[in-house]
Amino acid sequence: MWGADAVARLKDLARVIRSKNAGALLVTLDVMFADEATYRRVRDSGAINAADIARRYGLSHNQVSVIPYDVAQAIKITIPRAHPSGDPLDSDVYGAQQHAPLLTIEVP
Amino acid sequence: MPEGIVQPMPAEAQARLLAPRTDEVRLLACSGILGYGFTEAAFRRAIEMGMHAIGCDGGSMDPGPYYLGEGIPFVSRKAMKRDLALMLEGAITKQVPLLIGSAGGGGGTPHLAYTRAVLEEIAAERGYRFKLALIESELSKDYLKAKVRAGAVTPLGPIAEMTEQTVEESHRVVAMMGVEPFQQALRQGAQVVLAGRASDAAIYAALPTMQGYDPGLAWHLGKIIECAGAVVRPKIGQDCVIGRLRADHFLIEPGHPDKRCEKIRIAAHTLYENPSPYELVEPAGTLDTRACSYEQVDARTTMVAGSRMRHAARYTVKLEGVRKLGFRSMFMAGIRDPGLIGQIDEFTAGVRAKVAEETAAMGIAERDYRLVFRTYGRDAVMGTLEPERGELPHELGLMVECLARDEEQSRAVLAKARYCCLHNDFPGRLCISGNLAFPFSPSDISVGSAYAFSVWHVMELDDPLEPFPITMIDVGG
Repeated sequence: MWGADAVARLKDLARVIRSKNAGALLVTLDVMFADEATYRRVRDSGAINAADIARRYGLSHNQVSVIPYDVAQAIKITIPRAHPSGDPLDSDVYGAQQHAPLLTIEVP
Repeated sequence: MPEGIVQPMPAEAQARLLAPRTDEVRLLACSGILGYGFTEAAFRRAIEMGMHAIGCDGGSMDPGPYYLGEGIPFVSRKAMKRDLALMLEGAITKQVPLLIGSAGGGGGTPHLAYTRAVLEEIAAERGYRFKLALIESELSKDYLKAKVRAGAVTPLGPIAEMTEQTVEESHRVVAMMGVEPFQQALRQGAQVVLAGRASDAAIYAALPTMQGYDPGLAWHLGKIIECAGAVVRPKIGQDCVIGRLRADHFLIEPGHPDKRCEKIRIAAHTLYENPSPYELVEPAGTLDTRACSYEQVDARTTMVAGSRMRHAARYTVKLEGVRKLGFRSMFMAGIRDPGLIGQIDEFTAGVRAKVAEETAAMGIAERDYRLVFRTYGRDAVMGTLEPERGELPHELGLMVECLARDEEQSRAVLAKARYCCLHNDFPGRLCISGNLAFPFSPSDISVGSAYAFSVWHVMELDDPLEPFPITMIDVGG
């Protein structure tokens, strides 16, 4: 058994971890929580931060935006796409499957 | 044969529409995309409540550059006709306007013509008469080049500055209109407005902002209902959503009697497809939701207040455009040989070299095509960012695509790639009769013309109507 103090993975804490285009040049990732306590735990832990997201997506930290959104108990992450949507080397036209690197974020 | 001609919206109904605000304006968003569908139960209930306008967004750039380039919708004609027929019936029988934005998906001239043809077919079948406004949004190269020369165009995100060469190389460019062209069409007496590329929220903000309702609330309401069923629970397909705008707040409820709009979904909706949940950039300014409150007023209805519109110094419209790259063909096959899976990168590199040699012999240079190998089951989705790239699967889906000048060249190169993938040798090869499991015959598929986004910019305008010419048509008249 692990208590609230144990380290947990984001995929076990979030209700939704989704990715989607925000236009043809950006991908936006929303991490949403079922209850306010879990949201606050993750938000206040700082586990979701620009430096770590940048490392996971091969970017520099100033390319990453992280915005907590209290009214929806959600944290929004926006990053540039490696290739514009539908470009010859793109692999995900809707940007809908770019969330996997977030699943293993560790939250104290 | 039509059963009888249905009279167009009378002048007094038109006058009521343009009058200043009353207590409440009720707007119906039928579906997230025209052709994605909605339930008839939800639609009929909403219509009987008394809507002031019926709307539907037709478009999105999410399906990628192809549909804008090719000038076709990404929904089927049958689905579009089904949705349009119900919406038109509602508008005609209740004598209220029907507003369609981003007609045909991309909102270009062929998309508009396509949607108009479906609309006129329904009208002819049912004997409807109405005034139709067509609002174009496709830009001519000369117009856009002049804007580039005037310094009125800037990138929207990480993309190169627009030059006259960008314009010249682009196949189709559309501008995304705000509320003003919709309002102009309504003032000219349109009952049905078929607009080219339009801001999704503008479809719904147009009428209330014309009547004097608060623009912050009107735009926020528009933004929430434009995706229709996205804010409705239970989420089973698309469905109608009703927005009721009042002086200092608005209400969102589902059309369907058994569904609900929950506060948290309504609040969460500004996250969707936006870089920030607090700021939504629209032509005349930025919608700021920082001071918004969301309240559940009953099991199915959420109330929103506090939305603000910060007016921009310059009126801007978004531009979207594509250039044509050539033609794409592809095949996909399975690999079940662990020896080959373990050295797939070396193998495809060998195939690439052999294909170059073979195609050169046919007079096709390597620079004239692009051959892409995608290894599904390993890293086709995430590429080098794939965290589990090192763990080899027992089965691999190999997709090979060829992008070349035209279909003939693309298929010629792909056929060589298919042969090489099937029969090339590799160290330790045991199954020497073929390396690929094709799921069906024929293996090679012509995908179609290939396009890429070349334009993702914003353009300043002095006149919000300038690039959006309106044509009035008497349908059935």
